[in-house]
Amino acid sequence: MRYDTVIVGGGLAGLTAGISLQKAGKSTAIVSTGQNALYFFSGCFDSIQEPTPEIKSLFSEAGIRVHYTPGVRLMPMGTFKESALALEDVSLFPTPQFGKKVLIINFMAYHDFFSSFLAQGLEKQGMECRIRFLNLGDLAQPELGPNQMRAVQIARKLDDVWEKVVQEVRVLLKDEDTVVLPQVFGLNDASIPERIRQGIPARVVFAGTLPPSVPGIRTQMLLKKRYEVLGGTYLLGDRVTGAHVYEDVVQNVVTKQLDRHYLEADHFILASGSFFSKGLSSNPFKIYEPLFELDMDYDPDRNTWYDPTFANHQPYLGFGVKTDAQLRPSRGGVPVKNLYVIGSILGETHPELGSGAGLAIRSALKAAQLITGQP
Amino acid sequence: MKSNEFDVIIIGGGITGAGTQRDCAMRGLRTLLVDRSDIATGATGRNHGLLHSGARYAVSDPESAQECIRENMILRRVAAHCIDESDGLFVTLPEDDLDYQKTFVQACRNAGIRADIIDPDLARRLEPSVNPDIIGAVRVPDCSVDPFRLCAANMLDAKLHGGQVRLHTEVTGILREGNTVKGIRTHNRNTGEDQEFYAPIVVNAGGVWGQELAQMAGIKVGMFPAKGSLLIFAHRVNNMVINRCRKPSNADILVPGDTVCIVGTTSSRIPLEECRNVAVTPDEVTLLITEGMKLAPRLASTRILRAYAGVRPLVSADDDPSGRNISRGIVCLDHETRDGVKGLITITGGKLTSYRLMAEMATDLVCKKLGVDKACETAVLPLPGSEEGSYEEVAKKIWENPTTAQKVAAARMGSRVSRIRSTDRRDEALICECEQVTMGEINAAIDRLEASTLTDLRRRTRVGMGTCQGEFCACRAAGLLAKAHGCIEKERADIDYFLQERWKGNFPIGWGDTLREAEYTQWVYKHVLGI
Repeated sequence: MRYDTVIVGGGLAGLTAGISLQKAGKSTAIVSTGQNALYFFSGCFDSIQEPTPEIKSLFSEAGIRVHYTPGVRLMPMGTFKESALALEDVSLFPTPQFGKKVLIINFMAYHDFFSSFLAQGLEKQGMECRIRFLNLGDLAQPELGPNQMRAVQIARKLDDVWEKVVQEVRVLLKDEDTVVLPQVFGLNDASIPERIRQGIPARVVFAGTLPPSVPGIRTQMLLKKRYEVLGGTYLLGDRVTGAHVYEDVVQNVVTKQLDRHYLEADHFILASGSFFSKGLSSNPFKIYEPLFELDMDYDPDRNTWYDPTFANHQPYLGFGVKTDAQLRPSRGGVPVKNLYVIGSILGETHPELGSGAGLAIRSALKAAQLITGQP
Repeated sequence: MKSNEFDVIIIGGGITGAGTQRDCAMRGLRTLLVDRSDIATGATGRNHGLLHSGARYAVSDPESAQECIRENMILRRVAAHCIDESDGLFVTLPEDDLDYQKTFVQACRNAGIRADIIDPDLARRLEPSVNPDIIGAVRVPDCSVDPFRLCAANMLDAKLHGGQVRLHTEVTGILREGNTVKGIRTHNRNTGEDQEFYAPIVVNAGGVWGQELAQMAGIKVGMFPAKGSLLIFAHRVNNMVINRCRKPSNADILVPGDTVCIVGTTSSRIPLEECRNVAVTPDEVTLLITEGMKLAPRLASTRILRAYAGVRPLVSADDDPSGRNISRGIVCLDHETRDGVKGLITITGGKLTSYRLMAEMATDLVCKKLGVDKACETAVLPLPGSEEGSYEEVAKKIWENPTTAQKVAAARMGSRVSRIRSTDRRDEALICECEQVTMGEINAAIDRLEASTLTDLRRRTRVGMGTCQGEFCACRAAGLLAKAHGCIEKERADIDYFLQERWKGNFPIGWGDTLREAEYTQWVYKHVLGI
């Protein structure tokens, strides 16, 4: 099978690159193992300041609702963090003192949303908090078992009955100016969070839960849908197991499912993620890129990989594949001509591209531009 | 008698202290146990979890070997729910001297330890993970033991016999009137409260910190702190304890325990000041892996979960720098006869396996001094949880079709698992998926087993001990603790401490899947949860 570009990795970076290339009329295929960092996405595109028109259209055309409001957001444990560009679910405030009286809504027997920690954090900001629990079983049958009370299962139920939650909250609401709800709404319908806001006569703030992230999975599904609508081939549940490189040019990649039907292309993009997604591997002696054995930018002395204090910045998170300014990597010092490296596999080797979701999007757009030759 | 007066005060919530309190309480004494942090935080919780058959000491220390086999047989009965009767192998590798096997077996038999030379082929069938190159094998009655469970069961039984327990309570002074010890001065590290407690006898069971405690009473007890480092692997590679059949050396024991296995140890002398903060060095990690692979080659491809180190509380007798040639014998010091200070006893040395005997010796001395004439029953009466058969039988008595979580709870709690039976299905919610710990079990540990922090909970329920190393369960369990104690501020700090504690054991082995997990933990806690 032959494409213009084959992309290894179907997370935020891989999908962004795929969408850009498809839009530019290229034929592409994405090989995705399944889960990626979007499954625990906070909902904020940190490190993106003003979104470019290109980034704006990427989101709007995919049906991803974002807003750009530099400020702070409420974190799941009651702290605040600066952000600028976020999904519509995530409220951004000029200061942490955004209200006076807060009603925090949780579900009974749901242990992944930390209402008491949230209350404590808000009380520190001078807010008065009241926590109330809804019984999900009263809202949607059949009831979820005690071990099914996880974000995605709850969100699936709530997609049908979110209006009942609005009604319950309206009954519970006294003189509070703010209602805090867990981020378990709108798994399959991005408009639900906004419709909940309209239905409740108070400020509605959605606070994060333990992963999986409902807004993250929704974002992933919308991007994937957009990519497929544009004609892209998304090979889900497959894994690239090898590659053939001949005279500094990647000829094709081999996947587990396609067996001997190699994926051939003019260009290849490596968006396989960092350690967690197995884009990077490690053993006691080295950190390496397992697929192409690309040159790495890191210190081989294992003693320098970690900071003994968990809370400090961990050096290993900065390690990544070494590339030139055109995101092209090398093998044994020799540049690979038609391979581009994007997303978190770059570590912190390209600080100008930001980190996290910002790095994924910026490096993906850049690679797409380099491949199409369009600015 | 006032509420701050007791017959005996025991300092130290390790297995020696907990065992001593239980024994004293069973003999009718009013007891108080204090510890500066939690139960089993010192050497008790930082070893292999090996219930020695005594075989390891048979050649070098026949007395300890005899003690071990006697206690091993007793604990199988009275602490059944803490013990896995796995049996052990002493294997000879091609590089080892097979002649040593004869000496070893003879010494075992002299000490009363059953030691059967078996064909290496049989050994490979009994324990498929063992190095296939072995040229000799001896089967011995080694077992594995969960030291946290054992310690908690002793504390619980002491409480059931009227004993009082004050954890997170540091001894800041030993009260003396002339040459007589009257009690202790304490500082509660949770509440900040300072309080004095009085008793005619104080037992120093402070392990390696016993030297500092004795010093407070103006007495010199020279400890010989020897650090031992170990590695926990994420799978139970072996079902039998695997030892090297040679003179005891580095990393020559591999012990299965619950869902994991543990290889160790190293041995190096360290200054007393470093005992509170022992760290595993990269060299030790390399040595443990290289030597461990010789016992079971599969370890080379098995994920390592943690590295940790403990300090053996040996009393110095000679100047051997390794600490390995010192007798692991029990040291029970009567400071009245030794130093002319009445009312103080130090019990130290010994081993996890011989803790019950140590407790008996200390309690006998306490009773003699108090004029109490009651025989020790700890060798006969089972610990709470160990009264009824296997965990499968226990679970079936309570639940018709026990779930995995209910079965493992029965394995952890023994017959006391009936306490977490609940009609509320929400109690079945899994807080820790890796170790299958339910909300009911966690709340039981908070209510009955004096758990006040996440690390306390970990020792009592295995919450956070599994492959994810507390990624999700830490926050969930913290929520339950916050609810139980009504102190959210403290719980937030507790999560930070818990994460740091986990990382401390992860980064020395931070590669492969451990590094993947560590990166995920960083993302979840820093970026998603905002800690």
